[in-house]
Amino acid sequence: MIPSSPSHLPAPDLSACAREPIHIPGSIQPHGHMLVLEGDGLHLVRASAQAGEALGIGLDGAFGRPVESLVTGAAGAELLQGLKRVPAREPVQLGIVHLPGGGFQAIAHRSDGRTILELEDLPAEGARSLEALYPQLRQGIDQLQSALNLDDLMTRTAVEVRRLTGFDRVMVYRFDETWNGTVIAEDRNERLPSYLDLRFPASDIPAQARRLYALNRLRLIVDARYRPVPILARGGEGDAPLDLSYSVLRSVSPVHLEYMRNMGTAASMSISVMDGDRLWGLISCHHADPRQVSFAVRTACDLLGQVLSIQMAALDRGGEAERRIRLKGIEARLLAHMAAAEHFVDGLIDDSDDLLELVGAEGAAVLFEDGCHLVGRTPAEGVVRRIARRLVEAGHQDLFVTDSLASLMPEAEKHKDTASGLLAIPISQLHPSYVLWFRPEVIQTVKWGGDPHKPAAGSGSRLSPRTSFETWKETVRLQALPWRASEIEAARDFRNAIVGIVLRKAEEMAALNIELQRSNSELAAFSYSVSHDLRAPFRHVTSYAELLRARAAGKLDAREQHYLNTIIDAASSAGHLVDGLLHFSQLGRASLAVVPIDMNKLVAEVRRLLAPEAGDRSIQWSVAELPEVSGDPTMIRLVMQNLLSNAIKYTRNRPDPVIEVGSRTAPDVVEFFVRDNGTGFDMAYAHKLFGVFQRLHREEEFEGIGIGLANVRRIVERHGGSARAEGQPGKGAAFFFSLPRLSAAQSQR
Amino acid sequence: MAELKPILLVEDNPKDLELTLAAFEEAQLANDILVARDGAEALDYLLPADGPPPTGIKRPAVIILDIKLPKIDGIEVLQRIKSDPNTRQIPVVMLTSSQEEKDLVRSYHLGVNAFVVKPVGFKEFFDAIRDLGSFWAILNEPPPGSHRLRDVRS
Repeated sequence: MIPSSPSHLPAPDLSACAREPIHIPGSIQPHGHMLVLEGDGLHLVRASAQAGEALGIGLDGAFGRPVESLVTGAAGAELLQGLKRVPAREPVQLGIVHLPGGGFQAIAHRSDGRTILELEDLPAEGARSLEALYPQLRQGIDQLQSALNLDDLMTRTAVEVRRLTGFDRVMVYRFDETWNGTVIAEDRNERLPSYLDLRFPASDIPAQARRLYALNRLRLIVDARYRPVPILARGGEGDAPLDLSYSVLRSVSPVHLEYMRNMGTAASMSISVMDGDRLWGLISCHHADPRQVSFAVRTACDLLGQVLSIQMAALDRGGEAERRIRLKGIEARLLAHMAAAEHFVDGLIDDSDDLLELVGAEGAAVLFEDGCHLVGRTPAEGVVRRIARRLVEAGHQDLFVTDSLASLMPEAEKHKDTASGLLAIPISQLHPSYVLWFRPEVIQTVKWGGDPHKPAAGSGSRLSPRTSFETWKETVRLQALPWRASEIEAARDFRNAIVGIVLRKAEEMAALNIELQRSNSELAAFSYSVSHDLRAPFRHVTSYAELLRARAAGKLDAREQHYLNTIIDAASSAGHLVDGLLHFSQLGRASLAVVPIDMNKLVAEVRRLLAPEAGDRSIQWSVAELPEVSGDPTMIRLVMQNLLSNAIKYTRNRPDPVIEVGSRTAPDVVEFFVRDNGTGFDMAYAHKLFGVFQRLHREEEFEGIGIGLANVRRIVERHGGSARAEGQPGKGAAFFFSLPRLSAAQSQR
Repeated sequence: MAELKPILLVEDNPKDLELTLAAFEEAQLANDILVARDGAEALDYLLPADGPPPTGIKRPAVIILDIKLPKIDGIEVLQRIKSDPNTRQIPVVMLTSSQEEKDLVRSYHLGVNAFVVKPVGFKEFFDAIRDLGSFWAILNEPPPGSHRLRDVRS
């Protein structure tokens, strides 16, 4: 690749190079002459040092004279006509002129109000007219127009330009968004090495060079070892430097010449390829020996370059459309999978190839609710979660895309092999849920046509493609291949589709919830009416039996009395069961009035309330200092009451009953416990303890209807906590319940 | 105590009615017990739809009202009693089969004087009836306004 002024020098030189005013070099290459003409009379005001030789007169005598007196004869008259019609900018060729110094290709353009006439040496094989080139040019254009795709187009361009020019090597060089370049196509013989796929840093072709390339689409260096020819003015008088932007003979930066020599190339030509106003890339030609290219051939190449631009735009549109269609196909497949899957995440990760191909990633992660699913080449799960957390913290509600994750989180540098590029889409408004796609550092994804490690000519020098590549590697360190617009768009579309699915699922859930609420309230109504309607008969049975007992007491024998008592007991215990059930169902429906609760006070009150249950037993109480919690005091009180009442009840056969109340504070919850050394229970039945009407002891042993712990669990769960129990038969039991911790805001209220 | 006012018992269930009467008997209340078997009957007695406010009948010392009643339920009866100036001062005790929170809240909102869930146990039930009777029919003096009202009309 032939940048006009590569910059592989140490830093200070590099910046000097970037500032070098390359459009006003004050000199030209030696394969021709330059005459600078002024005014309507076209008087000679400046000239390249050897221009006198071409004109056949000394320069000193030439300055100040009109051009018509310098170029005489038939050639002169024709040239004069042409010179009067030079357009504002673009150079025009004015045919071949024969002067005392030989035949020259005449080219003229205007600069700073002057007319600049360049007289270029004719190539050794002689000048060819554009008409003579037409068949070749026509073939080249046909070739470009029948290209199948962009890659093919690039290769055909290299082949056709090489056919036209006869250079040893012709390359197509493309800029990326940040002006780094890649050789994407090449045609060559064996005289010069392959540079296919070589990368070059943006600094190789600095901004002012790119500007110049955009203005003047074609540049030629006939011999890199040339000695610049200065442009002289009469009597050496100073003037503003001449703007040579459009000059064909313009001398180039010595840095560039050194670069060329280090590459083993003597001649080079480059043709700018434009994409609208933007410099898309270059067709770059090299030759091992000095090589002059006729103006006609250059013009033909320029035309090919323009055909390339047009074809490229057409193919690119076609290719982009094709790519979009392909991505849409992938998206459709993924969505179908997701819709069919039980959970959409399964549908996403089952189709891992599609998920990666959708955006051209090497790895992907799906984070949904608590799950984290990895696909392809990704960092470890912990890292992926941290990345997602960073996105949440940074408040990225929308699609997030970066080519360099390390710039977002320095830690990512360690994961450059998997995650230099990140494309992230949030897929839920409620949870921090994402699909993340990863790309490795670009250096690892570079494909090599030639062997970059086999040094090209001039390697080891500070100015060489090898050094360029190293510099490029430095610029793209921690960088991934940029995400294409079509890929980002695919991700965005995909996000909308997923959000749609998530929303639909959420709606289904909501519908289910409504259904559940309805059936819940139906159940509540049912249990209410059952309790209400069952309760009355039991009440009637007990009451009538009691009335009977009161009236007939004297007439009944012992066995009759026993029967009657049993009827009363059974009916009244059935009545209490119904009451318990009713209460339980009410606990589930009653609204919570949550306030801060002083648990120490609450436990003390409950203990006072339950004192009669302990009777005259002396229980050893051990109540720790308890933290404040937030909850519904009536309900939490019921929890404590149930647990303490149980503890009192189940220690009644112990000679030395001990009941301990304490708590443990975790970051999010406070866990309270009530431990006793009573009857205990077998852990095998622990899961049954909190069920409705579950009893682990025979009723003769311990009375009760078996609903207390069910109430405990229901209350605790309604507070967002949980309940559990530990026990050992004969050793005692411990009941734990946790409540969400009081937040600072709540405790201030 | 010469002029003991009656107790109005509104109860549709014959067993509950019998048991409640038995309990009153047990409690040896001297008041007459008037019985209405549904909400409409109770309202007909207290607030006849046509004609002037009742003058010939005795205004009850207390109304004991079940919630679940045929025709017009107890809550509505309560509402009508408490929204009519002629009956507003009569104490009303809800005596219900079960304690449903919304019934309780609504009853107090409407101005009920007491809300009693019939206990399952016989003894508790009798105790409750006796306490109700003695508190509302004997001890609880009607507000002065009702005296005046009666004086004016008689």
